[in-house]
Amino acid sequence: MHGNTWNRRGAIAAAGAVFAAPGTGLAAPAPTVRDVLERMRGQTGAAWFDGGVDHIVAGSADAPVIGIATVMMATFDALKSAVAHRLNFVITHEPTFWSHPDHVEQLQDDPLYRRKLAYIGEHGLTIFHLHDHWHGKKPVDGINVGMMRKMGWQPYMDAQNNRIFNLPPTTLTSLVDRFRRTLGDRTLRVIGDPALAVRRVIASWGNCSSFPGIPYLDLADVLVIGEAQDWDLIAYANDLVAARRPKALVLLGHVLSEQWGMEYCADWLKTFVPEVPVRFLPIVQPYWNPADPVFEIDTKI
Amino acid sequence: MADSKPAPARPSFAPRHTGPLTALQVIQLVLDKVGAGYRPATIDHVSAGDPLTPVTGIAVTPIASLAVLRQAAGAGQNLVITYDPGFWSSSDNLDGMEGNDLFLLKRDVIRDHHLIVFNLHDHWRDRVPDGLTQGMAQALGWAMAKEGGVFEIARTPLLVLARSLAGRFGDRTIRVVGDPRLPVRRVALALGNAAQMPTIALLNGPADMVLAGYCREWEAVEYVQDMVASGSKKAMILLGEIVSAAPGMKACAEWLKTVTEIPVAYVEAAPGYWS
Repeated sequence: MHGNTWNRRGAIAAAGAVFAAPGTGLAAPAPTVRDVLERMRGQTGAAWFDGGVDHIVAGSADAPVIGIATVMMATFDALKSAVAHRLNFVITHEPTFWSHPDHVEQLQDDPLYRRKLAYIGEHGLTIFHLHDHWHGKKPVDGINVGMMRKMGWQPYMDAQNNRIFNLPPTTLTSLVDRFRRTLGDRTLRVIGDPALAVRRVIASWGNCSSFPGIPYLDLADVLVIGEAQDWDLIAYANDLVAARRPKALVLLGHVLSEQWGMEYCADWLKTFVPEVPVRFLPIVQPYWNPADPVFEIDTKI
Repeated sequence: MADSKPAPARPSFAPRHTGPLTALQVIQLVLDKVGAGYRPATIDHVSAGDPLTPVTGIAVTPIASLAVLRQAAGAGQNLVITYDPGFWSSSDNLDGMEGNDLFLLKRDVIRDHHLIVFNLHDHWRDRVPDGLTQGMAQALGWAMAKEGGVFEIARTPLLVLARSLAGRFGDRTIRVVGDPRLPVRRVALALGNAAQMPTIALLNGPADMVLAGYCREWEAVEYVQDMVASGSKKAMILLGEIVSAAPGMKACAEWLKTVTEIPVAYVEAAPGYWS
């Protein structure tokens, strides 16, 4: 739909690392990855901190940025999509190399690691893992902003706790249908009575363990998350339901529970990186179920 | 001084067990017979109850859920042997559970019915072959893998295999990564928790598909997606932890019957999901 515009800008960018700054008519030099990261540091509303998992996973801080892709997870498919859109700086919320901190020591002889790294190198990509600082964005977690925007839940955000949404009265079944339709979720899973009356929903997008999940369940009728371990928070929710507590847990899958948080990230970046195209590239959810098999695994945008 | 009388074989005052076995004795018996080697560290432990309680019956289950505990108590099975923990973390960590309503309820079920909960996770997996793998192979009628832990099955498209597994286990929330048309002939099992490195190693082996329990979406799930996206003919099916552990714990119940005369029953644990 908007592909032509972006491709044209990408093509200009690729042709020479010089950009027309919108509105000025003057050529602005391409920012480097370092420039973009420095601007980001000043825009999260919170102090930038060391430690955690946010870092340049591959590529270089000195690389000139032709265009920026924001993605939920830097899957191979997401990287191919970024290359197809001529976006050489990939900002990903989840890992590139299959573990939270992108540990690669144990992968040095791994054929897929080598293939993915070679692909990144051949296409001059730089990948930045933006997890902790995006969740730490003030006044509201960036993932939460994007997800509530996707769900149309901004009017319902609780004044005291921005993870809580006071929805118009509904049922668990209707809430789940809403998630299924809005997010295109074919593999969500639910624990709880389908007829449960729902008013308050607490969202912990992404992974959620017993802590903080157990206290969250005290605060609302439904806790919605991306994923949890079956013997941990999910077992707790099962026991709650067995004890006839009017509570439910909705598991959207990790990717679908967070990825529109990276759409918001693209919008945020556009406000302070005007020189280059910035685009959110949604990825496919990893799974299908036997009732709804999916034969096409590539992201099509 | 010479004394020609032989010493008695057993001093007459030595304690001898006469009454019913205690939970501790049964657990000792299990650990002696299970065929697992010594482990320097384990999460297997008595997670609740007084281990000196005489055992009236044994319930074996994938997870000591509230429903399972109630069912075992109702059937007079006071020793519950479980693969997964009863208190919502791998180590049954109770920090932060002070005053938690559900914890108190579960504790009271355990106290009122003199239940003892024993987590048998690591030692059941350390058996050769792995207790969960063997149970799953039996349930599916697959001949045990000879080499490299890979099962050879009749060539089946991934979609057909997924449907058959979903039907076989009544799994309403089975999830599949990969091309539904992929012909599957070699399957590796990563039952229970399919952790990053062992699962990646299985995917790089001869298997077309890994049959897993639970797997983090940002670890081996992403890895399979990347294999598929880069042209490898691989797939993964996630049964869910409970479904994946159930046949192995059913096999555990059968094995226990050969170890003790105490009544043993397998207790189903419902995964609880709908979709």
